[in-house]
Amino acid sequence: MSTITTPSSTSAAAPQKQRARRRVEPIFYFFLVPSLVLFTLAITIPGIIGIFFSFTNSIGIGDWDFVGLTNYIAIFSDPAILQSYLFTFGFSIVTVIAVNVVAFLLAVGLTSRIRMKSALRTVFVIPMVVSGIIIAYVFNFLFSNSLPSLGAAAGIPWLESSLLANPDLAWVAVVLVTAWQAVPGALLIYIAGLVAVPGDVYEAAEIDGASKFQQLLKITLPLVSGYVVINIILGFKGFLNAYDIIVGLTNGGPGTSTRSIAMTVIAGFNGGDYAYQMANATIFFVVAIVISLVQLSLTRGRNAL
Amino acid sequence: MSVKMTRGKRFAAMGLGLALLAGLLSGCTGESGKETIRFTFSKREAIGFMTKLVADYNASQDETEVVLDTSGVDVVSASFVRGNPPDIALANYNMETSRFVQRGALSDLSGTNAASTIREDLQPLMDQYGSYPGRTSALPYSVMASSVIYNKEIFAKHGVVVPTTWSELIAACEKLKAAGVTPFYATWKDDWTIAQGWFDYSVGGQVDTIDFFKKLDAEGVNVGQDSAVSFEKDFDQPVEKMLTLAKGYVNKDAASRAYGDGNLAFSKGEAAMYLQGPWAFSEIAKTAPDLNLGTFPLPMTEDPEDLRVRVNVDLAAWIPEASKHKEAARDFLEYLYQPEVIEAYNQSQLGFTPTKDAAGVPDPRIQGMVKYYDAGDVYQGPSVLVPRTIPIMNYTQAIVFGAAPATTLRTLDADWARLAFRQ
Repeated sequence: MSTITTPSSTSAAAPQKQRARRRVEPIFYFFLVPSLVLFTLAITIPGIIGIFFSFTNSIGIGDWDFVGLTNYIAIFSDPAILQSYLFTFGFSIVTVIAVNVVAFLLAVGLTSRIRMKSALRTVFVIPMVVSGIIIAYVFNFLFSNSLPSLGAAAGIPWLESSLLANPDLAWVAVVLVTAWQAVPGALLIYIAGLVAVPGDVYEAAEIDGASKFQQLLKITLPLVSGYVVINIILGFKGFLNAYDIIVGLTNGGPGTSTRSIAMTVIAGFNGGDYAYQMANATIFFVVAIVISLVQLSLTRGRNAL
Repeated sequence: MSVKMTRGKRFAAMGLGLALLAGLLSGCTGESGKETIRFTFSKREAIGFMTKLVADYNASQDETEVVLDTSGVDVVSASFVRGNPPDIALANYNMETSRFVQRGALSDLSGTNAASTIREDLQPLMDQYGSYPGRTSALPYSVMASSVIYNKEIFAKHGVVVPTTWSELIAACEKLKAAGVTPFYATWKDDWTIAQGWFDYSVGGQVDTIDFFKKLDAEGVNVGQDSAVSFEKDFDQPVEKMLTLAKGYVNKDAASRAYGDGNLAFSKGEAAMYLQGPWAFSEIAKTAPDLNLGTFPLPMTEDPEDLRVRVNVDLAAWIPEASKHKEAARDFLEYLYQPEVIEAYNQSQLGFTPTKDAAGVPDPRIQGMVKYYDAGDVYQGPSVLVPRTIPIMNYTQAIVFGAAPATTLRTLDADWARLAFRQ
């Protein structure tokens, strides 16, 4: 950029010189400033206030004192919070894998030469436009009523009791429903990626005698790998914040087996445990930053490929 | 032409908006010299009753204009933070409100007439949520009692009488079961129904909760295996009994049924007993208005005299310290506590009136609890006395779904100690 402006400024007259120094159009600031102000007011400042209060014993109102690192120490010995981290990460990893495998296969199907392609694409994208809490309540009903009565009618004993009432398996239901909602988003990105793959590489592969499966594994997958990374990053970030679907489906139960980190934080606000859960949120924030940095470096490497 | 029309409409809309705004503003400043006070009340079922009551009060005198604010509990908490709380409130008395009490945000009501009419034996129930030195921070207004709801027709049909001891209860369950009747309808999908009914009735019927929580508070960070009292030690037996009932005498699909399903099923006579509070009556009545229902305390011991009902202070009255209209609010408070007003309210909501010379509750469905309430044989549910940051509802659900009771109660002990450590 400077290599272009420098010669022009030396050769130009005074008014042009001024304009050259002002290079940036003020209109761009108009685009940025509102977001920046809102972001600062709604995210940054409350965030800093929250971190500040995590070093106190505030309950959200009234008097408070500084308690140093007490909250942080208590968190690391709190099995409920540790369990929520374990659940959230386990759930996120499994869901990311499930979503991407399903979405990728669907995308391959939907970009190949089949009948009713557009209609099918529309059908598969519908779950994305329905709000999470509604999906959760619908599935809640299916798991609690429809499936058990189906199981009873067909004489399948393990289907007779609700998946949501089983402490060891309720997370599977959460994964299923979350994946059901998240697949369309990933699907659209994969379709975009697959459409961008040039057709001649497949022709070349076919001439060399590669089977359809080999083409998928050796050509398609490497060529859309950038999209795979994007989907994994976006998905993982979203799933770490899992809240609405779990609330509608299990509300953290049975017992505490499906309580996500976001749920523990919010339960703390409602339960007068503000400072403590602020400390929890601060830790979660740091964890999220670390994950983002790792993923960022991964994508950079991917883009260079 | 059409352009003019829209412009006209726009002006009309603007005018309407301004009028509304003016209405709102005048609500703040008061009209015709009346002092305006904001009265918070958000119990959904009774908003109609309270709206009429407020209108009556506003018409009855010309000094104060009471404005009913039904926007809910969360808004109230936020208003305290902003230093702009309501002038007077009737609200559920629980751990949330106790925060305002303990930090001195509520004014002293001990000098009011209303305070002098309150039954003294209910004071321990109020104090269980903490108090502020030298103040009567809140007055009970409506007490809800809950115990076992039973279907009188089913009991009569199978010759079952109301049990008064644990073994009679088991015998009754066996008899019903043998006749092909589900003894209890359980709705375990909603964890609060386990905590409120199964857990609280079992524990409260056997443990002196006031004494237990007092000692537990004193132990603080030491609560655990070596402390004098602990959930693991003191709740162990009642929880075992709860599991005896939960394992043998409930509907098969209990784990996937929710509160709404339970009300419907119970109204259809699908079970003989139901562990719910009086709030369920109006729901059941929607489908079965004439169902003959009664209530009795869950017997947990072998002593037929040792029976208690669970109560909660459904509504308590309080006036924030930060209110600028305390005098006017106190006048309204006295009006609320006039015998005919407070009794009419409680009658309409199947609640019990906490004043000394209150007339008995006539509704036959809660008649079975009157004796115990009048004698003060009441307890507050342990599940509501545990701070809400501890997920006790989830824990009780885990126990019913098969988690080891000892382990879960030990977790509860550890949570309690940890909370004491940091607060």
